[in-house]
Amino acid sequence: MAYVHEITVWTRGVVKDKEGRDVANGIAAAADREGKFTQAFDNYVDLPDRVNVPVRKYARISDVEIEMRYEYENEKPEVVVLVDATLVKGMNVLRGLRKDGVLVVNTDRSPDEILEFVPDPGALKAVACVDAKKICGTSTVDFSGSEGGVDAVGLGAGLAAPILGAFAKATGLVKLESLAEVVRNKEALLQGHRSAVVKALR
Amino acid sequence: MFDIPKDRAVPFGCVTPAPDTEQPMMITGNWREYRPVIDQEKCNLCMNCVAFCPDACWQLDGAEEEVVWNAKYCKGCLVCVNECSTEALSKAYELDFPDGVVRLEKPF
Repeated sequence: MAYVHEITVWTRGVVKDKEGRDVANGIAAAADREGKFTQAFDNYVDLPDRVNVPVRKYARISDVEIEMRYEYENEKPEVVVLVDATLVKGMNVLRGLRKDGVLVVNTDRSPDEILEFVPDPGALKAVACVDAKKICGTSTVDFSGSEGGVDAVGLGAGLAAPILGAFAKATGLVKLESLAEVVRNKEALLQGHRSAVVKALR
Repeated sequence: MFDIPKDRAVPFGCVTPAPDTEQPMMITGNWREYRPVIDQEKCNLCMNCVAFCPDACWQLDGAEEEVVWNAKYCKGCLVCVNECSTEALSKAYELDFPDGVVRLEKPF
């Protein structure tokens, strides 16, 4: 089977649920505009989510058609995105990470401070930190219960925009221009791309 | 209320293994973004935190001289900080502390 880029987004239930979904959907929508084959979906096991519970969102990018439609979890992610930085203490977020993986964290701390809480950073190629809260304030919340089906707020109106900018800078899996086509808050996207601190580990 | 014959009655909670002192099947410490921090100097043992904590994460210690916090189950709701009568409790960001790591393999 052809190589599939797997991206796992960790977020907190209800309060940052939409932000995590926007990151996964934004990556897939932007890659789709570049002519790639994509998938983006929530983790079924984590739902229904409750306030602050760790939940996962997934995105997949491939140059050829993705044949793993009936696998509901990214067992071997290439990129792990943390919408809330305190998840490094609460979950083994790098489980199954591929060699030369990338960790993107929304935090006001430096990559070194985040790495203190990562027990085994051996597979990591780079850590990127972006202070999304400073760039665009509070997070957007979607209470429709439709998992993004009818979402009037729009994709990337909150914290997801700077995180997507940092994702593009750290991984290069999607272009910033194609992200700017799908993200609503374009200024925050560019600012996140600019201000993201990427620490290369090898 | 219910007419259950004596020979078929079962004790309440018999269906699941009843937790003794803790319930390791539902560890909620990784829900926490902010934690309560106690200043033992200001604490007068009013027991508000013990009474209000929804997960019984505040308990008297063995000597009954101070209340101790359970990092494994505290989800950071900060009810205790709101209810503290002497302002001995304050909230602090989780990444400021190296301890209190509850690193689970799966969310549930």
